[in-house]
Amino acid sequence: MGETITFWVLAVVSVSAALGLVFSRKAVYCALMLGVVMFSLAVLYAVQDAPFLAAVQIIVYTGAVMMLFLFVLMLVGVDSSDSLVETIRGQRFWALVAGLAFAALVGLAIGNTIVGPAAGLAGATQAAGGNVPALAQLIFSRYVFAFEVASALLITAALGAMVLAHRERVRPKPTQKELARARFFSGYAPSLPGPGTYARNNAIDMPALLPDGSVSRLSVNRVIARHDVDDDHFPEDAKLADAIRQAVEEEGK
Amino acid sequence: MELYVPILVLAVLAAGFAVFSVTIAPFTGPKRWNRAKLDAYECGIDPTPQPVGGGRFPLKYMITAMLFIVFDIEIIFLYPWAVAFDQLGVFGLVEMVLFIVTVLVAYAYVWRRKGLDWD
Amino acid sequence: MNNTFQAPTIEYGQLAPLLLVFGAAVVGVLIEAFAPRYLRKSFQVPLTFVSLLGAFALILVQVFVSGVPTAPAAMGAVAVDGPSLFIWGVILILAAVSVLLITDDDHFVPQAAAVPGSAEEDDALAEGAAHTEVYPLVLFAVGGMLLFAASNDLLMMFVALEVMSLPLYLLCGLARRRRLLSQEASVKYFLLGAFSSGFFLYGMALIYGFAGTVDLAGISRALGTVSGQDPLLLIGTALLGVGLLFKIGAAPFQAWKPDVYQGAPTPITALMASGTLVAAFGALLRVFWVALGNLDWDWRPVMWGVAILTMVLGAILAITQTDIKRMLAYSSIAHAGFLLVGVIATGDARQNADALSGILFYLLVYGITTVGAFAVVTVVRDAGGEAGHLSRWAGLGKRAPALAGVFAFFLLAFAGIPLTSGFFGKYAVFAAAATGGALPLVIVGVVSSAVAAFFYVRVIVLMFFSEPAADGPTIAVPSMGTAAVVTVAAAATVVLGVFPEPVLRLADQAASTLFIR
Repeated sequence: MGETITFWVLAVVSVSAALGLVFSRKAVYCALMLGVVMFSLAVLYAVQDAPFLAAVQIIVYTGAVMMLFLFVLMLVGVDSSDSLVETIRGQRFWALVAGLAFAALVGLAIGNTIVGPAAGLAGATQAAGGNVPALAQLIFSRYVFAFEVASALLITAALGAMVLAHRERVRPKPTQKELARARFFSGYAPSLPGPGTYARNNAIDMPALLPDGSVSRLSVNRVIARHDVDDDHFPEDAKLADAIRQAVEEEGK
Repeated sequence: MELYVPILVLAVLAAGFAVFSVTIAPFTGPKRWNRAKLDAYECGIDPTPQPVGGGRFPLKYMITAMLFIVFDIEIIFLYPWAVAFDQLGVFGLVEMVLFIVTVLVAYAYVWRRKGLDWD
Repeated sequence: MNNTFQAPTIEYGQLAPLLLVFGAAVVGVLIEAFAPRYLRKSFQVPLTFVSLLGAFALILVQVFVSGVPTAPAAMGAVAVDGPSLFIWGVILILAAVSVLLITDDDHFVPQAAAVPGSAEEDDALAEGAAHTEVYPLVLFAVGGMLLFAASNDLLMMFVALEVMSLPLYLLCGLARRRRLLSQEASVKYFLLGAFSSGFFLYGMALIYGFAGTVDLAGISRALGTVSGQDPLLLIGTALLGVGLLFKIGAAPFQAWKPDVYQGAPTPITALMASGTLVAAFGALLRVFWVALGNLDWDWRPVMWGVAILTMVLGAILAITQTDIKRMLAYSSIAHAGFLLVGVIATGDARQNADALSGILFYLLVYGITTVGAFAVVTVVRDAGGEAGHLSRWAGLGKRAPALAGVFAFFLLAFAGIPLTSGFFGKYAVFAAAATGGALPLVIVGVVSSAVAAFFYVRVIVLMFFSEPAADGPTIAVPSMGTAAVVTVAAAATVVLGVFPEPVLRLADQAASTLFIR
């Protein structure tokens, strides 16, 4: 009974998440929807007497692979969206036709299969003392060679990441001294007055005053200034208020 | 099914704690308005203007992420081995050590090639 | 807790070649980690050769001292039988020859993470940086190939498939020149390869649903005992077939081949065109002959179609190519089709052994000729790297008669002209197919060979009978490695074309036991 309820609830959740994954335009939403699908799968595995698979699904897929997806999205830029122009004409239409045909084929075939009543995983793994020990026995007997060879895959993955993404320094890293020197020679003012410098109120929300008493426009805090204009809440000093207004106007241009 | 009862209890406790903390905070915390609180992080330095929609991560993170996955998968193999340790005996131990040492070779490579440094 | 676990028996002796190659790869990674940069190459190159040749020696020891095993090793997961040992030998020779090309490291990018065309790239080049990771990666790929051809279990085969493919995806993107093309090739190969792995895995799951096992012999037994689940079996077979046919580049799954072969660094192309093809045929034969041998009534018509399509498409599209590497890629597709003819030619044990022996011999001669042809391609250069466009090859026979002559000879071997090794390869496969009742296929094969020959001859005419362009490509002085590869490949093509007898007999012997179960 509990299994049936879980199945129907998760069926709705995971299918709607999968649809959201396909139809959502923003890549980040797609990734999060994928997380929901993976998580629902994990629960389904757990309900079907497969605790190891459920753990793997959560640790590797929902944890690591999802994280990698999000990472890649961040690398590419969250905002970038796909161009919807088809490079091969009619590609999407034929892909849809092929996909539906394949789904129909598989659906029909599996529907036509005569399967006896399910025996359940628990019965099959009883002899070894449970699901996880049974798996351990398989991994360490018949598949022990495959298991060891899998470490070659892991090494290749690490090697690949390093080769493609790691840039070895061929020149020494510039020191602070060199950076400061370069900045001076570039002609750009080496340091700007921070907010609050020479201000009457010693706080970051107040623009700085220059030695002659005028307001340094460079030191207006843009974030607070925007809020100030939105809420119409300015410092009492008219000079400072003017500077804030001007800064927001300039930014708006 | 009893296997998952502790996990479920933990999940309920965690969710309860999160919801409780978030809902209770506005009622219990002091509210003293100050313009400076509008600034991001209130750390005293203006935030660098970000490109619209958030910036892009440097590629360096990729190595970290890949290494995480590599060791994550290693851990997956440790799980059944640890559960069935009594049955597998010395053979299991030897094979597992061999596996871990092989994967550690990848770690040594990344470490020596300064893949873990952030410069 | 009942203690039922028994430690498995692993025949380390039989698996020694595999273990040596993988072990050397791991040591290679350690060298990358701890050796200073200027020493890395001088450690990696000997290590790679010693392990490949050592593995070959171990195979000889296995064959001549211990004898060909008659039962699968490692609890039935790996089958080290006659065909496996022959294929292992072929892969190791081809890999060793390809590594000779790889040691010429100006084919590889000095720093892959630097943006193409950036100042950092120039810095890295000036600094003499090099990715010596290439050697362990090649060893991992070769280890995967060995295992792929010898897996007796679909799960093992899948792991091997990934171990073989993953380093190759990476290596494809490391060409020094025309880097964007190379990176594009790498991404294309990776995406399509991952997709085909998905097909393989899905097919495997369905077949497991049918047979309740992923053991090849177990599946074969289940064919006779399980009833009412044929749809699972048929769709599983089809999906498994997609995964395997993708790897050999049979039509309609051939689209990746020209792009990848063109973009990848040429030594890696040579390795892929020879080693991967051999390994994938080993796996394909094992799946379709051992596991699904009694289902041949069902898969044979489909394979007929695939073989005809592959041969015709490969031969005809080769004609329209203007890039030498793309042309060789299409020729490789056509050759995959010829080999598929041998896969279809099953019958009784005698017939199977004949077909298998033909395929084994063909794989050997085609692999060697291919590596030689790609070695020649690396030498003909323009300002921007290899002179890929065919028009640049015009009149090459007048500037570098020896080189052009050798290349022409390789092309004739591809076409299957008598007195070249290619002739006996084609003859062995087509003869087996003709007696196996696949005569129409043989006719299609011969006709498409003729079509392909037309194109090869056109290239030869272009090289010898047209005027060289004034600003034609330069012929780089081949390094020791490249010269050795061209010489070895040419010698093998001649010798196997004139005295194929000993090697044919060897292939016969390897095939006589067929695949063990």
